[in-house]
Amino acid sequence: MNHKELNARVSAARDQVEARGETFYPGASRIHLAAFPPRERWNDWVELDSKSWPKRVEKRYMLVPTTCFNCESACGLLAYVDRDTLQVRKFEGNPEHPGSRGRNCAKGPATINQITDPDRILFPLKRAGERGEGKWERVSWDDALDDIAGRIRKCMQDERHEQVMYHVGRPGEDGYTERMLAAWGVDGHNSHTNVCSSGARAGYHWWMGMDRPSPDHANAKVIVLVSSHLETGHYFNPHAQRIIEGKKNGAKLIVLDTRLSNTSTHADQWLSPYPGSEAAIFLAVANWMIQEGKYDREFVRRWWNWQEYLDRIHGEPNGGFERFEELLRDTYSEYTFDFAAEESGLSAAALQTMAETISTAGTRLATHNWRSAGSGNLGGWQVARTLLLLNALLGAIATEGGTFPNSWNKFTPKPPRLPHQHPKRWNEVLWPREYPLALMEMSFLMPHLMRDQDAFVDVYFTRVYNPVWTNPDGFSWIEMLTDPKRIGQHIAMTPTWNETAYFADYVLPMGHSSERHDLTSYEQYDGQWLGFRQPVLRTARERLGERITDTRQVNPGEVWEENEFWIELTWRIDPDGTLGIRQFFESVKNPGEKMTVDEYYGWIFENSVPGLPAAAAAEGISPLEYMRRVGAFEVASKIGRVYEQRIPEEELEDVHVDGADRVYTRAPVPPSPKAPGGTKIDPDEQGRRRVGVRVNGEVLRGWPTPSGKLEFWSPTLHEWGWPELAIPTYIRSHIHRQNLDADQMPLISTFRVPVQIHTRSANAKWLDEIAHTNPLWIHPSDAARVGVAKTGDLVRVETEIGHFVLKTWITEGIRPGVVACSHHMGRWKPEGHEGQRIGMMTVALDQADSTWDLTRKKGGGPFASSDPDTLRVWWTDVGVHQNLTHAVHPDPISGMHCWHQAVRVKKAEPTDSFGDVSVDTAKSRAAYERWLATTRSADEHSPDGTRRPFWMLRPVRPERAAYDLPDREPVGA
Amino acid sequence: MPDDAPLELIRSLAVIAEPPGEEQGRLTQLLDLGAPPTASEYSDVFLFQLYPYASVHVGSEGMMGGEARDRVAGFWTALGHVPPAEPDHLAALLGLYASLGQREHDVDGAERALVRESRHALLNEHLAPWVFAFLARVQELASGAYAAWASLLYEVLLSEARSFGSDASAPLPLHLRLSDDLPDPRTEGGDAWFSGLLAPVRAGMILTRADLARIAGALDLGLRAGERRYALEHLLAQDPISVLGALAAEARRQGAAHAGRSDWLGPAATFCHDRAMRAAALLEELAEQGATHLRDASEAPVGIGVEEG
Repeated sequence: MNHKELNARVSAARDQVEARGETFYPGASRIHLAAFPPRERWNDWVELDSKSWPKRVEKRYMLVPTTCFNCESACGLLAYVDRDTLQVRKFEGNPEHPGSRGRNCAKGPATINQITDPDRILFPLKRAGERGEGKWERVSWDDALDDIAGRIRKCMQDERHEQVMYHVGRPGEDGYTERMLAAWGVDGHNSHTNVCSSGARAGYHWWMGMDRPSPDHANAKVIVLVSSHLETGHYFNPHAQRIIEGKKNGAKLIVLDTRLSNTSTHADQWLSPYPGSEAAIFLAVANWMIQEGKYDREFVRRWWNWQEYLDRIHGEPNGGFERFEELLRDTYSEYTFDFAAEESGLSAAALQTMAETISTAGTRLATHNWRSAGSGNLGGWQVARTLLLLNALLGAIATEGGTFPNSWNKFTPKPPRLPHQHPKRWNEVLWPREYPLALMEMSFLMPHLMRDQDAFVDVYFTRVYNPVWTNPDGFSWIEMLTDPKRIGQHIAMTPTWNETAYFADYVLPMGHSSERHDLTSYEQYDGQWLGFRQPVLRTARERLGERITDTRQVNPGEVWEENEFWIELTWRIDPDGTLGIRQFFESVKNPGEKMTVDEYYGWIFENSVPGLPAAAAAEGISPLEYMRRVGAFEVASKIGRVYEQRIPEEELEDVHVDGADRVYTRAPVPPSPKAPGGTKIDPDEQGRRRVGVRVNGEVLRGWPTPSGKLEFWSPTLHEWGWPELAIPTYIRSHIHRQNLDADQMPLISTFRVPVQIHTRSANAKWLDEIAHTNPLWIHPSDAARVGVAKTGDLVRVETEIGHFVLKTWITEGIRPGVVACSHHMGRWKPEGHEGQRIGMMTVALDQADSTWDLTRKKGGGPFASSDPDTLRVWWTDVGVHQNLTHAVHPDPISGMHCWHQAVRVKKAEPTDSFGDVSVDTAKSRAAYERWLATTRSADEHSPDGTRRPFWMLRPVRPERAAYDLPDREPVGA
Repeated sequence: MPDDAPLELIRSLAVIAEPPGEEQGRLTQLLDLGAPPTASEYSDVFLFQLYPYASVHVGSEGMMGGEARDRVAGFWTALGHVPPAEPDHLAALLGLYASLGQREHDVDGAERALVRESRHALLNEHLAPWVFAFLARVQELASGAYAAWASLLYEVLLSEARSFGSDASAPLPLHLRLSDDLPDPRTEGGDAWFSGLLAPVRAGMILTRADLARIAGALDLGLRAGERRYALEHLLAQDPISVLGALAAEARRQGAAHAGRSDWLGPAATFCHDRAMRAAALLEELAEQGATHLRDASEAPVGIGVEEG
């Protein structure tokens, strides 16, 4: 038989096999140019059992996709469900996920540790003793639901909606909770964002009207990272693989990181600046590009709001672009390389090299700042604003290889029964008038604001959030949580014990990533995808023919998922529908019955995800079945420059163009499958909506900012009391050298280690074994000055409100004059409490008036449990909880907590022990008041009598009238 | 033309280079290659004798990985693929070859020409410099299905190479151009010489465990169990002159096989032939000199001739 005949024979055999829906070539075979089980075999995948080696024992698995819930990247996972026992055996990557593409960091596979954690919470618990006493009794879900629902119902009946609050740490989902709170009419969405990323996000928001960067790393020519983003951080796994692709394609990687992180080691140019000087560096780069004419003039002319700037600031409405360029050169001329060198401690030559590299990128400059310098410093929001200035100069925004705004690389589908109402009452605790421009809720000031306002929260949910541990000034949180005059009922919704749950009234066990439903979509490349998290055992058993109506039927113990919980809770709050909220949780197909999660997601997949119904139909299944089988769907790719899109004729009706070339129309908003959100731009005086901007005679989509352009000059900042900071500029950090005493140093506490999550990975034994402590990074020269002889010696680190004691790591990997300590470690449980044993120390908490001491009584170590591995725990050091000693540092503009600390590092005193923490909350209060004094309140600075610029983002937006300041002429509605 | 390339056949032959399982058995039977190979046969051929990685055969180190693998990975990247974990494994290269063939079929015009050129480059640069000598040796050393597999794959790839035609003026493949020559132990030390002798691209021959066993048997020497280098050191320690002679004969034999491919493989075959002949000459020269110089020249503790003194 010749080759042709043999080839035909193989082809025929392949066709025959594939016609049966099977795969001809073996899975994980090199000839597929991939290394993952082919999807066709996920239902019955065979692997050799590693534990049986050297015997060849076959194990049969059902591979069920879900989404990782450990960081916000939402990478795809495949749960390997043992077909014999119907237990999950392991997690690997989902190759069908467009963001993560089958690859995961250590935290994804470690999900198996979390679901099999012998100490996890399996049943609803109710406080039996005093709050914080550590006594609990098991209660039924019914009893807990009735109690909580009754309180919320009473709040609503009494018009005390603002006394219901939902405080979220890791959201891990898009839109479900916002929809629920809108349905409830509650302005109670409280996020963790102001201790996380709102600094940088504010900077992006005031440029673009969208608040997050989405760099197209894989296609970039130059990549600039402000952080150790290649190894940690938001979307780091999907980004890291694309950064490496970019590098392989020849991109240059520039990293600004004070530490020699793993990311720094991969850089073509690593810069270790003095913390807080990053904006000065970017301004020096920008100045050089401006002075040398190395920028895209046409892009700047078309898309910056330079006309508005000329008119409003310089009184030259007809000054022309050349005049603007002249002013630009003058304005930025002070930011020389020498200036930035002085601020940063880097050489002017190194900065020039950086500038020259960046200037070669053209429209392929990918830049990224999420937390890091944006979250560490007073004025950190200007780090993002000055960084994006570089993109804006090069026109490298929403271009291939450039940086996109998040909204164009994200797809949040419209849900069924979209609430039409907005909360009527403004939540002053979350959105205080002293911080009118805060990007997100002033969550971390809650203990202080509650006290200032003598406020009371009747029902307080902490949902996968641990403010006692995560937030600065945790002892003030304990004081608030244990005060019944402040918190009526505290419900901790968490899969695992945490420091905040100890001070709850109810602890409700919620599922990990393989035990719950959620939808996610995040900006990770120039595309839009939707990921589906699902309770994998539910799906597995349904594939085998069972009917599952409640996720508790398949989850361990009585662990539930939140979506079913919220539906049930809402029905109990409004059992007869008279409060008007039950309607949003009623079935669409069968009004009057509860909506099920199948119906909720099925409706979304059928109605709100373009392309998904067709893809499902091609496989002969429903869209819901498709997502249960595949786990993710790419909605679109190569989105490109949305701002340059022409507005179609049908959207132009009775058009009005104002003096700033903003175009308004009477045509209604075209139907969109996406959930509503984003900025809210006011209509013109005749009520037409803003549809775009006119550029060179063409009506283009533009930007969702008040001007419709990229706002180089922010009229918002200008009008709301900060005219001196309205263009990208440099704000000296609170830890700038001029603000420190001679014996003080900056402490960097914002960095992550690659294998840990903030507080939710202490129950992952594999991760703990890799990283379980957080020593103080200190340069040898500083160690010598302090008198520390060797790595491991104890030091006392003094902050403005107290001190903590920890071990040192003497390393040249940190800039001299700066110390650093990762924030992950130092998890604890009070003596006498249940709690996590792996990864947590046992401590004594002692309070005398405003003075608190935390003393380590017992470290980690081996213990007997249902998991034999816990007897093999070989480490006792689980780190120190440093955040307790941090005072609150709210940036007066963005509202971001400025994490960097000015500290004194001293040799430990003879009475000091490792892990000791001591704080005076009266000093915390004083620090809060010092920072509060730097604000410019809406009361004095609001240009229109409102509490906050209406156009700015807001997760759950109250009705317009609620924006009006009390005792002022109403302007809303 | 792309339609002529037996892509499915190439894919199936690629799969057979993977550890045997149900699919390999099915394909072996489908292609009339005999009884399905066993795990033991797979281990013997691909794990102990003949390693199916380009980097082993065209890298100066004679080992998996290194610059040779980077060059192959670079080729994947240039085609827009993320290189797999082992981009130079024979199965991966054949899979890539088949996928390019398929792509060629799916596109038109200039793009088709570009894809075809990519496929040609893959064959020329990353397969042809080593795969024919490799498959020839599999035919010699394996039995049953793997011998039949090697024979069929050899013929298929030969047919592919012929379909692209021979260009005498084409540059030598980059792997070969960048490869180092076999070092002379008298000037460069015994350590480097040993490494070079076991690197096919430098010695012009693939020296397997089976070859060493055959030499030991023929010379009535003891074969120490261990890696090839360890075994070779001890063969030379026992009877260096005879062993050098046997190695030279093997180099000449394999060199002649290279020469037999020169009419259709062109400069690559000539290059390998020359390398083998130079290796043979060096080995014979060393043998003639009584191998004593090896002891003097070698500064590395490799043991050559130590027992002679």
